[in-house]
Amino acid sequence: MIENSFNRRDFLKVLGWGGATVALSGCGNTSVEDGREFVTSYVQTADYIIPSIGTYFNSTCAQCDAGCGIMGRVREGRVLKLEGNPKSPTSVGKMCGLGQAGVQAHYNPDRIREPLLRNGDKGEAITWEKALALINEKIGGVKAENIAFLTGGVSGHVKVLLKNYLDALGSGHHYVYEAVAPSIMRAANKKAYGVEMPRLRLDKAKVILSFGADFLGAWVSPVHFSQQYARFRKADNGKRGVLVQVESKMTLTGANADRWLAIRPGTEGILALGLINALSTAGLSVSGDVVAVVKEYTTDRVSKDTGVSAEHIAKLAALLKERSPSLIIAGSAAEGYAHGSQNAAAIALLNQVLGNVGKTVEGSSGIPFPQMAPTTGNRQALQALNDNMAQDKVKVLFSYGSNPVFTAPASMKLKENLKKVPFKVAFAHYMDETAVEADLVLPLNSALEDWGTVMPEYVADGAQLSIRQPLMEKLHPGTLGMGDILLALLKQRRPNEYKGYEDFYSYLRNAMVSNKGALGGADADDNTFWDAALSHGMVKLAGSPVNISSHVSVNGLVVPAPFAEDSAYPLHLIPAVSASLRDGRNANEPWLQESPDPLTTIVWDSWVEMHPKTAAKLGIVEGDIVEVASKSGAIKAQVYVFTGIHPDVISVPLGYGHEAMGRYAKGVGVNAFKILDPIFDKETGELAMHETRVKVSKAGQRVIIVKDEGPAGGQQMGRKIAVRMSSDKVNLSKEV
Amino acid sequence: MYCFLRLSVLLVGLIVSVSSYAANAVQPLTTADDLGPKVEQPIEFPHDRHAGDAAKGGMQINCMYCHTYARRSIVAGIPPLQKCIGCHQNIESVRETPRIKKLFEYWEAKKAVPWKKVHDLPDFVRFNHERHIQRFVFAQNKPVQEACGYCHGDVKTMTVARRQKPLSMGWCVSCHQKDHPVDATSTKTTHGPNDCWQCHK
Repeated sequence: MIENSFNRRDFLKVLGWGGATVALSGCGNTSVEDGREFVTSYVQTADYIIPSIGTYFNSTCAQCDAGCGIMGRVREGRVLKLEGNPKSPTSVGKMCGLGQAGVQAHYNPDRIREPLLRNGDKGEAITWEKALALINEKIGGVKAENIAFLTGGVSGHVKVLLKNYLDALGSGHHYVYEAVAPSIMRAANKKAYGVEMPRLRLDKAKVILSFGADFLGAWVSPVHFSQQYARFRKADNGKRGVLVQVESKMTLTGANADRWLAIRPGTEGILALGLINALSTAGLSVSGDVVAVVKEYTTDRVSKDTGVSAEHIAKLAALLKERSPSLIIAGSAAEGYAHGSQNAAAIALLNQVLGNVGKTVEGSSGIPFPQMAPTTGNRQALQALNDNMAQDKVKVLFSYGSNPVFTAPASMKLKENLKKVPFKVAFAHYMDETAVEADLVLPLNSALEDWGTVMPEYVADGAQLSIRQPLMEKLHPGTLGMGDILLALLKQRRPNEYKGYEDFYSYLRNAMVSNKGALGGADADDNTFWDAALSHGMVKLAGSPVNISSHVSVNGLVVPAPFAEDSAYPLHLIPAVSASLRDGRNANEPWLQESPDPLTTIVWDSWVEMHPKTAAKLGIVEGDIVEVASKSGAIKAQVYVFTGIHPDVISVPLGYGHEAMGRYAKGVGVNAFKILDPIFDKETGELAMHETRVKVSKAGQRVIIVKDEGPAGGQQMGRKIAVRMSSDKVNLSKEV
Repeated sequence: MYCFLRLSVLLVGLIVSVSSYAANAVQPLTTADDLGPKVEQPIEFPHDRHAGDAAKGGMQINCMYCHTYARRSIVAGIPPLQKCIGCHQNIESVRETPRIKKLFEYWEAKKAVPWKKVHDLPDFVRFNHERHIQRFVFAQNKPVQEACGYCHGDVKTMTVARRQKPLSMGWCVSCHQKDHPVDATSTKTTHGPNDCWQCHK
């Protein structure tokens, strides 16, 4: 009604008078707020609990799979801030930004608060008794072989209960799926060194050559590697280690390297073999059969194939020969191709030739309780489940700790196949894409209010069982821990075995106390052992060390020639795993959306990273909305022109583009998982994440990118800041 | 019509601001009228019975016996229920009185008593009990009830506590400007800090 007549000037007048009113009321003492709030009041409390003074409790982070030890500051019964647990060998008192956002996973307003049963398009709140009875009823109506359990990586006592439940059902269908796990690396390591996850000693290396392993950002256990990296850079003997990063798209680790080498996508194996040849020519003793294989990889040929200059190859070979031990790491960028396993094998061979195995690549520790060891997953498991669903072989599906509807490539048609499953149960924190498809959604406790044990896949030192304990009371009375739910389900099947346990806590305490001898508490009485374990946040296990030997065979080691040009789809798509969003499970934590990407400084959106040359060729400038189309689909996003990427490559970060999940995740950016082509690593069958070819076309619009970075060559306080330079003009280190 | 609308908005703003100023302007710094609102508590706790003079039937319990956090924390706090019960389970004479019965009802239900805050400064003010208690009680040997009374008034004569002082910034500063001896034995004097950031962090 008022429409335009209430103009800006009037608005300001009213605002001014209103402001004056508020300011005048502020005089005097009207802001003392007596009698409205409650005092923190306890029934019983420990002597060390003092209102307004924080108490720290140790637990285990759940934000990614690294499983760092954390310490939460608790005041007046609420957890306020997380830090690293100083006693944890993984985190040693440090913590990453992703971990810090754990409190936002806990206090998140979009958490599910009660069990929901599908009624048409809506979820109807039901009681836990009804939900569990319904599961029992549905399971009773189908054959055991038609029941499937899909999870992310699980370990510890929850894994034990899960296995027992599946055994009780008689179903062996436990599918473990991790969307961005280093599955090819595990297989390649197993083949080369006999263990899936050898311990990398960055701190002992004098040179690190990393083929796209973003160990400072998002790879395996970044907090632990960052600390090793600090010692590598400032070694006790005063000699600073040299880091060379070879990759097609610059990662955080690449940005920290002394020399960043842009390599043509997929040719990492060729470079590794070329380096072996150069080393052997320079006089390093290399066995005859290896020489026979690598001798055709002359520096000229390798330089032509990989795009890395002959000068850099020569310098790199000289550096590796001169400084020993070195460490060669194969990351996801080298392994994300159909020949990923061969690339990894060639890189492992380089480690072997340099004699690093046993020095900087060490054996891990044996795990005394294999039933609690982490189950690692891969996309193949999801494929098997998908096939079974397509053939109507799955009647009841449980889903926990993974969000396949979001992370599976569109070509799998997972969402359609999921609809064929008559009864789907999702254990979830949020109504994510998978929970939305479910028939029954069971809300889980947050990691800060749950009991559990975690055995991380990569442990820094020895073997350990990390303990997750509640840092505060449950926020929502209607949620339950995964352990509690499994225990309740087991009570339906094996009442005699489990009726003695009131809840998961009593099960966990009993399981640990009755094994205290093996958990380092042989001399302590039960309570002392248990209190010490909770206080430390973990127990050390006496694991026998596993010695590794390197036996990379050159037999059958073939690294294919570089990709042929494809005129229809001329560019390679690299789906980037960012340190904050990873596979998208944390996308509903606003701190992570708000913290700028370390390289582009972009916030709250997806982007397409593109080399200036490529952009010029396509007539694209920063902020142009482009369509990125692969054979499997297309997405639209803003272009960010960036020199830290190979001209044949574009990169889109993963984790964005949720269609559900919550207010901070939904509709922000686009989902790059969807357009990945179904191309698989030939040896392991794993999805070759970097293999997708795309074409880019302008979509017409142009936007201003929301980012922290100022204009190139911009000034701050009269000084030039963040000067842009192409990587070949930067000379950070004389050595490389 | 639009003009009228605008005028009326401005007039309302003016009237509200003047009346609000007038309401505040009459308040002097410290008078007996600085009483805060009556705060209704779940249990009508008789401070006079616990802390009052023996001659008037009080038990003369030290303030810090219950408000034990005052000397160790920025807040004085409320004792946990177990502290009330610790004494009262041995005091048979009042066991059946309505207030004590209610107290034990909370205890048996393991529910904390939802006490309301009587002195609640705005969130942008940081008042530290520990500093004041350490200075007045432990350094200057002032009687506890006197030291607490500077801000809380003569609580030992009240039943349910009620705010006695304005707790405004001017009132705080009026005390911080006064010189006082550094400790009980010294003749050297000092005064409370007057930097903004001492309270507004």
